[in-house]
Amino acid sequence: MMIDILFYFFATVLVASGLCVITVRNPVHAALFLVLAFFSMACIWLLLEEEFLAIVLVLVYVGAVMVLFLFVVMMLDINIARLRAGFIRYVWVGVGVAFFIVVQLFFVFSAKQSGLVDAVPPARHGADYSNTEALGRILYTDYVYPFEIAAAVLLVAIVAAIALTMRRRPDTKHQRPSEQVAVRREDRIRIVSMPAEKKQ
Amino acid sequence: MSFTTPDMAPATPELFLLAAACAVLVADVYVPQRLRMLTYHLAQFSLVIAAGLCLALLPETPQVTFNGTFVADAMGALLKVFILLATYFAFFYSKIYLRDRGLFKGEYFVLGLFAVLGMMVLVSAGSLLTVYLGLELLSLSLYAMVAMNRTSITASEAAMKYFVLGALASGVLLYGMSMIYGATGTLDLAAIRGHVAGLDGRNMVLILGLVFVIVGIAFKLGAVPFHMWVPDVYEGAPTSVTLFIGSAPKIAAFGMLMRLLVDGLPGLHGDWTGMLIILSVLSMGVGNIIAIAQTNLKRMLAYSTIAHVGFLFLGIIAGSEAGYSASMFYIIVYAFMSMGGFAMIVVLGGAESEADRIVDFKGLNDRNPWYAFLMLILMLSMAGVPPFLGFWAKWSVLREVVASGMTWLAVVAVIFSIIGLFYYLRVIRMMYFEKVEQPAPLSVGADMRIMVSANALAILALGVYPSGLLALCVSALAG
Amino acid sequence: MIEISQLLVLGAVMFCISMAGIVINRKNVIILLMSIELMLLSVNLNFVAFSYQLGDLAGQVFVFFILTVAAAESAIGLAIIVVVFRTRQTINVAELDTMKG
Repeated sequence: MMIDILFYFFATVLVASGLCVITVRNPVHAALFLVLAFFSMACIWLLLEEEFLAIVLVLVYVGAVMVLFLFVVMMLDINIARLRAGFIRYVWVGVGVAFFIVVQLFFVFSAKQSGLVDAVPPARHGADYSNTEALGRILYTDYVYPFEIAAAVLLVAIVAAIALTMRRRPDTKHQRPSEQVAVRREDRIRIVSMPAEKKQ
Repeated sequence: MSFTTPDMAPATPELFLLAAACAVLVADVYVPQRLRMLTYHLAQFSLVIAAGLCLALLPETPQVTFNGTFVADAMGALLKVFILLATYFAFFYSKIYLRDRGLFKGEYFVLGLFAVLGMMVLVSAGSLLTVYLGLELLSLSLYAMVAMNRTSITASEAAMKYFVLGALASGVLLYGMSMIYGATGTLDLAAIRGHVAGLDGRNMVLILGLVFVIVGIAFKLGAVPFHMWVPDVYEGAPTSVTLFIGSAPKIAAFGMLMRLLVDGLPGLHGDWTGMLIILSVLSMGVGNIIAIAQTNLKRMLAYSTIAHVGFLFLGIIAGSEAGYSASMFYIIVYAFMSMGGFAMIVVLGGAESEADRIVDFKGLNDRNPWYAFLMLILMLSMAGVPPFLGFWAKWSVLREVVASGMTWLAVVAVIFSIIGLFYYLRVIRMMYFEKVEQPAPLSVGADMRIMVSANALAILALGVYPSGLLALCVSALAG
Repeated sequence: MIEISQLLVLGAVMFCISMAGIVINRKNVIILLMSIELMLLSVNLNFVAFSYQLGDLAGQVFVFFILTVAAAESAIGLAIIVVVFRTRQTINVAELDTMKG
């Protein structure tokens, strides 16, 4: 019973924050609502005894990806008012499409043929069950090949992000300490002998 | 717990390519600017070695390793060899294009190698997980390659559109995969196949998953009505990237289609055939008709791609082994034809300009009869005029559709390809019958001349003797 | 106890919110990217739900990889946004009309 109440609470927060992400005016607020959505989703996963993924979701998403989002939003000086123009025009299309799909999917999941209605929720694991250990056991053995590909995907992301955004400004001025130290007096000063001028 | 090291031998080409890509990446950091071409040569060299490994390890019987996530079979090996070959040509044309425009960068080839790795993972995927990861490795590299020319407004726009729609497509595909996983309880394609065969009656969750998966695939392949991104990306991307996107990834997409639908879900053949027929007819119709209105050659070829994807579906709709091999033949032929077409745009373009409008081909016969002749071969082959290779590709697909009893579909396809003839002939008319005031001779390097000629003449020669390549495709699927 | 159909309906609602987000915010690429993150989140919920129901860890492994790829994807997406912003001084998709659609 307690679990049900918690589930409905977190599900409500999740849907509400999801709606806020797509409707608020300010991208910074949207990013913060997305963080809230990730937190509520992590809580739901905890209720399902999937602790490792819940923790990863918070650490990777909230900790890294959303910070990146906020960083880019702050870095680019975005004109919000112009981006909002035409919002009302699309909103009804969006709501219509979404509502239509939700109703359809709802019918599928509640239909007898889906075989989901009578499914009995599984028994809960005991206190000595470690989800992290169970995942760790198969991640590096059965799924070692996907794991390697995931590493390649991350490498591609690094290479691409650097190749796309790093720029060498040709007019940037750098200090070269080694050359500064190596300078001798003769490089900088030239002694010219000038004949003394006669007083007029 | 016990753990046995998986047999890595069947995956040697992939492992080699991964190591080679990392080595090229490191080498690119340390070579001085004047030796920058070294990156390109290393990349080409690793492609050749990987292709050699694929041929050397050609499996007699399908081999499954890494706990079912990797499948090595004859179809995969053949597709990989052609992917590597197509990439070899694409890298070559890219080198010329990038060098002439001062855009040459080592990262371009590194990302290209990772894209090839993604394609190879994709065509020998044994589980939904590896299909997804291979696809993402390919797509992420391609998004970055499109955006690589950072000063170009159109290229960054195209990258943006490609990224947003590609990510959307991945999301939809994943939603479908989650449903298939839920209905069957496994990610392994062979196990999914066994589970579906054992089902009595229809499982709605499974069908729902299938619908989402097909929408995702259609997005990635650019089939109508999910084609909106194709013309913009083809036009906006640098020609070197366009010719890459238009060739090798199409072969990989065919591999993905085969793995998901034919290897994984043959039990639902009746359901996915209907969806593919709709996609196929719409793609052939919209692609061929809208192509007529285009004035930009890259956009025209983009719509022609959409039409060709419609044809690709025909062999899979036929649902027989012969049909699948006809589709495989078709996509390989198409990859090399479209690459030749885009290479001609590279040939005609100068250091500053892109010759991507159809009027840029005006009077090409006066400027250089040899290139006009090569373009003639490519255009007629794409249109499907005998005796060029494109005709045999179309013919073999149509024969299988008729054999499966869907004559009406074959008739529709023929009608649309006759409509399609019109826009290819327009390019030919531009080259031969329109005059320019002062025909400026082309300045093309000898290496480019040899490669483009080889590409186009191969299409002519294989058109005269198509049976060898077709027999290869048949034997690859017969296993 | 939480039933699988509850989780799937929640997943479907989130999927549709993200779909609507992509349709509504077709001008603002940053929010578009966030909608895509929401979409992947809903897919993850589906996998987690099925994994919970089936008592099978493969679904959770899949979620692990989706999280990894999604992080890489958003890094590249944001890099592309930065490139677009530098060339155009805007990220308004509607103004990205150099090519005729």
